This record gives sequence, structure tokens and C-alpha cells, in this order.
Amino acid sequence: MSEKLETYLDEIRRYLASSKEKQEILTEIKSHIMEKAEEEYGEMTDSSLAKIIDAYGSPRRVAEKYMDDQQIIAPTFKGHLLRYTAVLFFVHFALTILAFIFKTRLLILPFFYIPKMDNFQALFYFPMIFIYDLGLVGIILYFVTQSGKDIRLPWPKLNLNWQNLADSRQEKPRIILLVLMILGYAALVYVYISYNTLFFKSLNPGGIESFFSPEASKWYSLALLVFLGVGILAYFVKFFAQSEWVNLIRSACQLVILGIVINRPIDNAIREFFYFDIHLIANLIVAFIALLLAIDFLKSLIILGIKAFRKKSLAL
Amino acid sequence: MATDISPFETEMNRGFLQVLVLVLLEKDMYGYSMVKQLEGKGYKLEENTLYPLLRRLEKKGLIKSKWDISKDRPRKFYVITKDGRAVRTQLLAFWKQQNDVLDYLIKETENV
Repeated sequence: MSEKLETYLDEIRRYLASSKEKQEILTEIKSHIMEKAEEEYGEMTDSSLAKIIDAYGSPRRVAEKYMDDQQIIAPTFKGHLLRYTAVLFFVHFALTILAFIFKTRLLILPFFYIPKMDNFQALFYFPMIFIYDLGLVGIILYFVTQSGKDIRLPWPKLNLNWQNLADSRQEKPRIILLVLMILGYAALVYVYISYNTLFFKSLNPGGIESFFSPEASKWYSLALLVFLGVGILAYFVKFFAQSEWVNLIRSACQLVILGIVINRPIDNAIREFFYFDIHLIANLIVAFIALLLAIDFLKSLIILGIKAFRKKSLAL
Repeated sequence: MATDISPFETEMNRGFLQVLVLVLLEKDMYGYSMVKQLEGKGYKLEENTLYPLLRRLEKKGLIKSKWDISKDRPRKFYVITKDGRAVRTQLLAFWKQQNDVLDYLIKETENV
């Protein structure tokens, strides 16, 4: 048998991976091609076989026709796939943020395992959990599809109208707000320069004291200034570029700054002041801010997703 | 630019080919002979569509197959079953009904 026919059948075999009757299908195709070659060209030569193979169609197309009625995930579940992934990712995301802030690992076996992570590991962990969630939902929908039963899957109502959300974010930045922000920021910078801290334990004239040791005061104050500075800078940029990317980058930067703050060992000076463990309270506050930022970050991601999707559907 | 009708043709063919094969297989035939016979009548049957279709009909019990290895080349022969005949009768009636409705509607619109 010609090498070309052999290769052709072999390729079809590869695409037929899931079919049980592979060998029979291939024998039939082979018998057809050889018979046609003899009937129409008188003999089986490489060139006659090549022509018949070309006419029969590409291996992938041929294999596809045997799988016409086999679906991996039913098209009607497309909405479920996106919705379930969104809900799962949201939960996973929030748990990851909590695990990160409390510097612990979280186990909800067999579904979640969130390891103890530092800043950068955490950043790279987010795309991973997204892929994991998408895959998990995909596998479940795969089995539901393959069962062939008419299963009614719950349809989580996300009471947010994403379309409106995407539009509401389009609001123009206001100059007055920017001016107020800059004034407030300037005041903070002034205070910092004057007292080397932004965190006061007591404001008695002549007895102004910081919460922290001088070195830690400087560090935490600067972190706060950078954190706020990023926010103002992002607002300023919006005057020139009204893109959701600005919000996305802003919340990502602020999350990283928070991460760095959390990772810093807590200052000893502060422990002497309080009778109870300030560490937990400080962490809870930071956790709350981080959660808000994380939600903001997710919103930006979703809005960018919607816009990309809209653009695509307009192009069609 | 004229619309490419091949996707519509494919859609229409899907049902038509099932009936066609059920009619054709009143006597034993193998794939290549079916293609040839139809070609003689001026109808081009796509080979790579025929075999998967035969497989599907066989799975549903409407046709059955047997390998003939008495010749120098093995051939898989197909023939209609009793169930296949029953389905064929119903499908032909259905097809006739579809045809009648179309005929009627086309005539009606022509008269408007």
C-alpha cells in the first residue's frame, strides 16, 4: 500500500481518538480509496491515490463527520460555564486574599488548596485559580453533557447588571475632586515632613508621639503615601485616557503595596502600647481594604472582558 | 456578491441523504457502488459523508452490514432491515407532506 495512503489513514486514526470502531472505519475508507483508484485510473499508483485522497477530504474533516453528534460540552451550557466560573472564581479569589493576608494556607479538600504565599507568588496564583475554576466547571459540564439526561442546572442570579456597570465606569473625572485630592495629599506630605510620621498616638502640644518606632513610622507613612499617591495618579491619568485598564493597573498596584505592608514584620513599639494583640486587628483592617480592592480589581477585569466581547460581537 | 449556498445545501442534505440511503439499500450495496450508481443519475454523493451516515443508520438498526471477503478486496455490504423499511415508509410520507406544503405555498404566492 502506498505510503501516502498509510499516512492519510494514520492521521484520521489520530483524530478518531475516542471512537471505539476506529479500525473498522479505517478499513472501510481504505477499501473505498483503493477500489476507486483501480476503477477510475486502472491501477493503483502513487499519483492516482494522491488525487483520490485529496478528493476524499482532509483527515480532520473526515474524522469530524464521524463525530457530528458528539459534543464535549453542550452549546446550551455556554452561559453556565461562564456564570459558574465567575461565581467560583469570586469565592476562590476572596479565600486566596484571606489566606494571603493571614499568612496561612487554606484547605477545602478536595476542591481548594491555597498554599501559604508571599507577594509575587500570590500575584501569579490568581491566573492559576482562574484556569483551575474554569477547568473544574468544564469537567462537571462535560459529565452532565455526556450523561445525555435532561438535567436542569441551577442558574445563579448575579444581580449585577454588568452592561450597566461597564457604562457607569465611563463617568468623566471631575477636576474639583482632583484638586481636593491633591490638597489633601499635600497636607499629608506636609504633616509627614514636619513630624516624620502619619500615625499619631497622642496629639498633645509638645508631646506628639507616633504609634511606631521612628524607623517603622517612616516606613508605614511612606507606604500610605505611595498607596494614596497611586490612587491620585490613576485619577489624574483618567483625564487623558478613559480606559478601564487604568482602574485595573491601579487596583493591582495598590494590592501589591498592601501585600508588602502585610509582609513586613510588625513593629515592636506598637506592641508595648496595646495590651492586646494589635496584629490581628491591623490584619483585619488591611484584609477589609484588600477585599474591597480585590473586588475592584475583579470588576475591572470583568468590564474589560465585556468590552472585548462586545467588540468581538460588533465585528461579527 | 452571491451568497454561498453550500452550508444551506449541507443542512438540507442531512435529512435527504438518510431517506436516499434507505431507498437505495433495498438491495445489498457497498459504499463505492452507491456513489457510482448515484453518479450515474447525476447526483454527487460526498464519500466522506456517506460512510459516517451508514454507520449511524446501522447503529440505529435501520440497516445492517456484512464484510464480503470472497473477492481479492474486502467490501462492506449494507442492506436495509425491517425496522429500516418501516422508518423509510414514514419518512417518505413526511417528505411528501413537506413537498405538498411547499408546492401549495409557492403556488399561492405566485398568484398574489
